[in-house]
Amino acid sequence: MKKWMMIVMLCCVMLIGCSEKTYEPREIVSETDVCKICNMSIVHNAYAGQIALKNGDYEIFDDIGCLMEYIEANGEDEIGAAYIKDAAKDEWIDVFEAVYVYNKDYWTPMNYGVVAFDTKGAAQEWMSTEGDGQLLTYKDLHDFKWGIHE
Amino acid sequence: MKKIGFALLFFLFISQTVYADFDVQHAIDAAKPGEVVHIPAGRYHGNFIVTKPIMLKGEEGTELIAEKNEPALRIENTANITVENINLSGKNKAIVASNVDGLELHKLQIKDFHSGVHIQRSKNVRIHEVNVTGNVGHYSRKGNGLAVFKSENIIIENNTIEQVQDGIYVEDVKRIVVQRNKVTNSRYGTHFMYTSDAEALLNTYHHNVTGLMVMMTTDIHLESNTVENHVDFNGYGMLLYDVQQAKIKHNTIKNNRTGVALQKSSNVHIETNDFQMNQTALEGTKVSDDTKASNNNFTGNILTARSDKQGFKLESNYYDDYSGIDLEDNGLGDVPYVAVSSFGQWMVRQPVYQYFVESPSVILLTSLDQQINKTEKNMLVDHTPRLAAEGTKEKNKVNVVQMLLGLSLILSSLWLWKRGITE
Repeated sequence: MKKWMMIVMLCCVMLIGCSEKTYEPREIVSETDVCKICNMSIVHNAYAGQIALKNGDYEIFDDIGCLMEYIEANGEDEIGAAYIKDAAKDEWIDVFEAVYVYNKDYWTPMNYGVVAFDTKGAAQEWMSTEGDGQLLTYKDLHDFKWGIHE
Repeated sequence: MKKIGFALLFFLFISQTVYADFDVQHAIDAAKPGEVVHIPAGRYHGNFIVTKPIMLKGEEGTELIAEKNEPALRIENTANITVENINLSGKNKAIVASNVDGLELHKLQIKDFHSGVHIQRSKNVRIHEVNVTGNVGHYSRKGNGLAVFKSENIIIENNTIEQVQDGIYVEDVKRIVVQRNKVTNSRYGTHFMYTSDAEALLNTYHHNVTGLMVMMTTDIHLESNTVENHVDFNGYGMLLYDVQQAKIKHNTIKNNRTGVALQKSSNVHIETNDFQMNQTALEGTKVSDDTKASNNNFTGNILTARSDKQGFKLESNYYDDYSGIDLEDNGLGDVPYVAVSSFGQWMVRQPVYQYFVESPSVILLTSLDQQINKTEKNMLVDHTPRLAAEGTKEKNKVNVVQMLLGLSLILSSLWLWKRGITE
């Protein structure tokens, strides 16, 4: 009996070891967190982003534009997960799956005017109250011209 | 005695409410363009709106108190407005001005608000002698002291701001002068974003996270400011991010975690500043070749300069840790000063290392470092280091009075000595 128990436990340990590692978002600490790219303190949490690296480190960003600049410079290989705040719900959503809306008059910490949502419906609902914008995907963000627009 | 007490209380009560019947909004509405609306002393609750060119003038004890989350005073779509000598208190914003051409805010006391003054899409604005005091608490839960968005021709001077998020926040503004202001205990003293043709002169910033935060800005002049005691975990005296064409002159940059940091910037000239007792005086990452620090004084800093591989130019600065000689007697050291320091680089990455800065092992390491770094030719090398700090040239001047006094003392002593011998 003891032998069987040992075998079952060993299998469980092996299964846990083989399971895919998950990378959970962490809470923003406004007292100490600064954007990895522009060095601004993170005081507008509703626009913050973060990257959980495979080595366990976190990189924090004040704006999706800064997060994209980090990805452009460092690539995606070391990224375990990347999160951005949903502008409508104040919840972390997956950067790669999110739906983005751009309008030059939307205010964001870096004034890039790009905000994120979990679904296309949420983005359209946002536009109905905050003004029409251009729908973008993660892929579009790579070619996006970050900066203030006239 | 009791009667006198009641009488005093009565007058105290009366003094605050005697003008309560004065209807501020009615007086504003009734005023003709160009007229002065005198608001008597008293406390006026409401959310007042101005849409015509008038002057609002309070007297000692005039206070506008905002109701709900609306601003105490809104100024919209008009020109030539002056607001003077008024106290404001409330919850959200004290003053919001939109689409105004010609606005003067003078002698205002703003307290208990989330944000002080918010100006947008306006031009020809002057804000002076305004005091903003934010609430106690962390800056992430507060608004800005004076904020200007999408505007042009702005002057902000002689204001005192404390305990807010950013003392003076400037975004997308053309032509602005920020001078003689004092900002303390806030996140950033003055925060420029997407601004062009800007000047920050003679301001005092201390005990903020960062004194001057300049981002995505072109053509800025930072001169004669005092920037000190920014020692927080992320503190900087001045931080320039993505800035083109900047002049940083005659500033006193003292006791900061990092004195001046440059990131992704080009054509920055750092001249004749005093860097004193900073953990790192000057730091540069991704700066262009045309960035130069010249004729500055570096005294008492733990680390003079650090950079990435690109580096930046050092020219004719004074360094208190320079130990070269001047055989040519031209005031410049004959051996280049090399600012590269391994321990300094480590210390910047791990601030806790600063506690070992004068330990025997670090002194040995630094000595070895200096010998090795003598071969460094370009990165963080000053080929013409000055031997004396700027302002110490007059040390050879002769003080005639002191010289005559000394001479007379010597002669008197000699005479007394001689007299003693002969007797």
